[in-house]
Amino acid sequence: MISQFFVLSQRGDNIVFRDYRGEVPKGSAEIFFRKVKFWKEDGQEEAPPVFNVDGVNYFHVKVVGLLFVATTRANVSPSIVLELLQRIARVIKDYVGVLNEDSIRKNFVLVYELLDEAIDFGFVQTTSTELLKSYIFNEPIVIDAARLSSLGSTGLFMQGTKRMPGTAVTKSVVANEPGGRKREEIFVDIIEKISVTFSSSGYILTSEIDGTIQMKSYLTGNPEIRLALNEDLSIGRGGTSAYDYRSSFGSGAVILDDCNFHESVRLDNFEVDKTLTLVPPDGEFPVMNYRMTQEFKPPFRINALIEEAGMLKAEVILKLYAEFPSNITANTISVQMPLPKYTMRASFELEPGAIGQTTDFKEANKRLEWGLKKIVGGSELTLRARLTFSQEFHGNITKESGPVSMTFTIPMYNSSKLQVKYLQIAKKSGTYNPYRWVRYVTLANSYVARI
Amino acid sequence: MSGHDSKYFSTTKKGEIPELKEELNSQYKDKRKDAVKKVIAAMTVGKDVSSLFTDVVNCMQTENLELKKLVYLYLINYAKSQPDLAILAVNTFVKDSQDPNPLIRALAVRTMGCIRVDKITEYLCDPLQRCLKDDDPYVRKTAAICVAKLYDINAELVEDRGFLESLKDLISDNNPMVVANAVAALAEIQENSNRPIFEMTSHTLSKLLTALNECTEWGQVFILDALSRYKAADAREAENIVERVTPRLQHANCAVVLSAVKMILQQMELITSTDVVRNLCKKMAPPLVTLLSAEPEIQYVALRNINLIVQRRPTILAHEIKVFFCKYNDPIYVKMEKLEIMIKLASDRNIDQVLLEFKEYATEVDVDFVRKAVRAIGRCAIKLERAAERCITVLLELIKIKVNYVVQEAIIVIKDIFRRYPNTYESIIATLCESLDTLDEPEAKASMIWIIGEYAERIDNADELLESFLESFPEEPAHVQLQLLTATVKLFLKKPTEGPQQMIQVVLNNATVETDNPDLRDRAYIYWRLLSTDPEAAKDVVLAEKPVISDDSNLLDSSLLDELLANIATLSSVYHKPPEAFVTRVKTSALRPEDEDYGSETGNSESPAHLADSAAAGASPPPTSSGSVPYAAARQPAPAPVSPAAPVPDLLGDLIGLDNSAIVPVDQPAAPTGPPLPILLPASTGQGLQISAQLTSRDGQIFYSLLFENNTQVPLDGFMIQFNKNTFGLAAAGPLQVPQIQPGTSAGTLLPMVTFQNMSQGPPTSLLQVAVKNNQQPVWYFNDKISLHVFFSEDGRMERANFLETWRSLPDSNEITKDFPGIVVNNVEATLDRLAATNMFFIAKRKHANQDVFYFSAKIPRGIPFLIELTTVVNTPGVKCAIKTPSPESAPLFFEAVETLLKD
Repeated sequence: MISQFFVLSQRGDNIVFRDYRGEVPKGSAEIFFRKVKFWKEDGQEEAPPVFNVDGVNYFHVKVVGLLFVATTRANVSPSIVLELLQRIARVIKDYVGVLNEDSIRKNFVLVYELLDEAIDFGFVQTTSTELLKSYIFNEPIVIDAARLSSLGSTGLFMQGTKRMPGTAVTKSVVANEPGGRKREEIFVDIIEKISVTFSSSGYILTSEIDGTIQMKSYLTGNPEIRLALNEDLSIGRGGTSAYDYRSSFGSGAVILDDCNFHESVRLDNFEVDKTLTLVPPDGEFPVMNYRMTQEFKPPFRINALIEEAGMLKAEVILKLYAEFPSNITANTISVQMPLPKYTMRASFELEPGAIGQTTDFKEANKRLEWGLKKIVGGSELTLRARLTFSQEFHGNITKESGPVSMTFTIPMYNSSKLQVKYLQIAKKSGTYNPYRWVRYVTLANSYVARI
Repeated sequence: MSGHDSKYFSTTKKGEIPELKEELNSQYKDKRKDAVKKVIAAMTVGKDVSSLFTDVVNCMQTENLELKKLVYLYLINYAKSQPDLAILAVNTFVKDSQDPNPLIRALAVRTMGCIRVDKITEYLCDPLQRCLKDDDPYVRKTAAICVAKLYDINAELVEDRGFLESLKDLISDNNPMVVANAVAALAEIQENSNRPIFEMTSHTLSKLLTALNECTEWGQVFILDALSRYKAADAREAENIVERVTPRLQHANCAVVLSAVKMILQQMELITSTDVVRNLCKKMAPPLVTLLSAEPEIQYVALRNINLIVQRRPTILAHEIKVFFCKYNDPIYVKMEKLEIMIKLASDRNIDQVLLEFKEYATEVDVDFVRKAVRAIGRCAIKLERAAERCITVLLELIKIKVNYVVQEAIIVIKDIFRRYPNTYESIIATLCESLDTLDEPEAKASMIWIIGEYAERIDNADELLESFLESFPEEPAHVQLQLLTATVKLFLKKPTEGPQQMIQVVLNNATVETDNPDLRDRAYIYWRLLSTDPEAAKDVVLAEKPVISDDSNLLDSSLLDELLANIATLSSVYHKPPEAFVTRVKTSALRPEDEDYGSETGNSESPAHLADSAAAGASPPPTSSGSVPYAAARQPAPAPVSPAAPVPDLLGDLIGLDNSAIVPVDQPAAPTGPPLPILLPASTGQGLQISAQLTSRDGQIFYSLLFENNTQVPLDGFMIQFNKNTFGLAAAGPLQVPQIQPGTSAGTLLPMVTFQNMSQGPPTSLLQVAVKNNQQPVWYFNDKISLHVFFSEDGRMERANFLETWRSLPDSNEITKDFPGIVVNNVEATLDRLAATNMFFIAKRKHANQDVFYFSAKIPRGIPFLIELTTVVNTPGVKCAIKTPSPESAPLFFEAVETLLKD
């Protein structure tokens, strides 16, 4: 059980503070913030999510730049507390539509009401938006969604987290539309974060897909939903060791290493026809999380080269190959490459006619950055950079630069080939035909090419 | 409701409180609601709105749930500071607890339990009794938690009124949410009680296993954690339990998965069939790996747990090493943990892959990560004999990149590799020597010097290399100096030529005359005497074969590992410390406002932090390097009393013609002697083992000074110690470090202690019950007395004005007096010095008739001050001691301490 819960802004201001047990001294929020801000222990400069100061255990997660924190004195389950913090963030977001400092401040009474129902004496009661609705009386004040666009399209999927609390949907599940009636719709997002490590010779060393089927329902009356996945889907690699491609290669079937389901999901027919049945609770939630190490075709290949070019000079050539269909477009691509520490200057040369591309040499951390607004499938892009060094290099120049890492978003594309074949809503009447949005998106998690 | 809540934050005009007061008493409902919101807003930003108590409580009688909740929120916050006014709310609470609306009933019980005011607690009992049997499950589940709240305030009341029985009945409730809360409440009550309250029988087990399937995810965690205390009768029962729990591994909630893993691991200990165990291991692997796809925070917790699991059952993840490869964008705390696990899973089969990864990490940007990666390569070399050569090749490649910190780190691990495989890889020394002048970190320097000394005969210019270090000898840190000293002696013994001979003179001179480091000086004298008495003996000692070191990547000892595995999925498994090392849960009554208020005057606010330092210092994960044996008897840093130096026979004089006058030891530090420790376990009781011990305080740290004398016929080893709950919650800060004791010998140690770890309830007593065991004998129990003066802290000195003010501010009922008729003060100066040495600070003195009156101050943990007045006639028996303290119940202990101090 937890003792206190609080939310701090990036500057360390208390946005929400609730004490459930009165056993931790009042200054805990300040103690916590100072500790996290000036963390320097075990040679690390980033505080771990769980630590102990003067007998008080502090847990924290970062969500959209806010710190969600819990304290306790007891030997509790750390995963329950960390999960709880993520869930509270999600519940608040479900209620107020969009999660940020402003929306929490504007809705503080509602947030306190939610906190009192979600946690009693430090024990988690429920974090289901659906269940909470019966006990919550405050109306949310939805803040102007238009101001959100400043986050940009990459802010949509929050950095660092896997189960993104935010998809494109920024509506409150309880607030009514300005027009009055709610729109009947349901969103199903298949979000895949892919991690690939290429060796210096271009072979795939490791590859992995972390996927989530995320759902957010605005359907009235909570009808039952059937979600059908690929028929040839199978789970578990039947005892073969990880990354043993032979067993699965070429068969075309989707083989997941492991998956888990939301508690509302019934799997009665899953073995037979790969359908999931569920009555979606209100709010956003992951229907299914899955993990796959079966071989897949990485959307990008990266070719990086660094060569000496005379005294105090070197040349970098970066090539990107977009190996996905030409009707698909990746956007917000960013390629980064650490350069040798004694790099003084870098001058760039893009291909003639390149548009929507930026290049930069970050002096402070000696890093090359190449930004591309979009890349159409099948295309090939090149960047050349000439480096000037402040001192002669000794040893191996390739060892002192790289690896190249990249981030990207590819809408309507997924590497695993996992698909939602159909989405059936138990019909109430013939005319009932709510909007159904099934969307796919692939994101880079750790996408790295060694040189 | 209209507008934005944040507007409530913006009123900062002068007459805010009167304005709010007016609005709270408005005849319009909406206005009242808005006003309460403003009050809450002010409260959350830390403004004091307690003066509005009556006005807010007046708004409580409403059917509007939104408003009622706001008022309750206010009440919880301020009831403690306004206990008399809080009574005003009682009637409404009692009425609400019988409201037809279940939400209002639940709300009333929930809120009453949060108001920690004794007077209210009495009124809570009847409503609670009703609500525990309410028809509505929402009310029952709220009431279940309320029992835990009440137990925290008044445990006796809960037991007297039979609430525990009602709570146990709820385990059979038909609503899973109620069951889950009852289990959670009972588990917590059990944790804070010494009596068996919530016993896990096979009957309870089957009920809970059934409820498990229907519970919410959080309820599942409560139940799984409670079930993990169940001890299955036999393998078959264990298998049955595991079968029921295994489906939980598929849950999307990581907490459920980890708690299920814990439960399964525990039952596996009982399962004998290897097939079943193998199958379970196979089932657990994918969910454990999936935890690593969660948020980085969860990954961290999972990794710390996996670290423990693979130490006990390496097969579970033996084939999954690739999932522990670091991702480019992993936070540093995740990367570090992954490295640890990679080392643990490294085997002859996968070492090539692993080395390739480590090598890649060693060229990344983050310096700390790079260092750890280099060390990881070294640890693999030590762990896997057949791969050692490949590891060394990688290290040499890294050294050639010539990144300074990589080189230094590599040299440190290569030293360990040399110790693991002596006389195997000396061929690489030449490469190492190339980097000699770039070394600027003490540890790397010390390692390099060690290598040169150890292999002096194989390095042609070893004397030149060492000489280059000697120039800066006085400026080097202590452990570099120690290594230089030893390396030079080795060199001299191996190559007794002119150069080394001169060097050794310089070193010995530096290490004896020029230094004030006792360790260095002692070691230098020992070498000196050895060399001068019998150089051959010196060779046997200094050049003796060293014990081969082993792999330290599984460094938890098996009993600690057992304990930690039993605590999987708790904080203990994240810190890798047993719960008692960091859980300092105090009963809330200890934080009563009286104490806090008092503290604001006397600097109380600082001292809890100061005290807890020792406990919290260990909060972060333990260091992974070896050589962290604190306070072992052999390396006591404490200043030792100086024994008069006996005339030293001129044994050293003939050594290489040094001037004799330079080598007469001035003040040879002796082993800490002091007065003998009191014997607590006489040899007659201890079957030949005699234990003497006493609490002492040094530099603000409390130690338990122990002396073990072995009068048995066999060597004794494996000493462990444990302390029963006691008033000050004294507990060992680490394991007892006692070497094997041969028959007829003895060993002493200073065990660092922490306070407020396992506190006993009830009035303060000085009793300290100790249990000591070893591998050869039964467990020995003995009693010791805690003398309060070891707790006197260094910050207990009060200024005169402050003293007077504090004295006056304390009520007369807090003044307690005691006479010590038998005690004489002969020498005032000496007595004051002695008292000051124990942190009892002299403030002032005055004459009263023929008597001398002395004033002192002292402070014990939690910032509790003692103001002391001693009245006596010098050289005449009889001392009167009067004290004033906010904690009069500690007075008897205090008098005991003063009596001991004055008697000395």
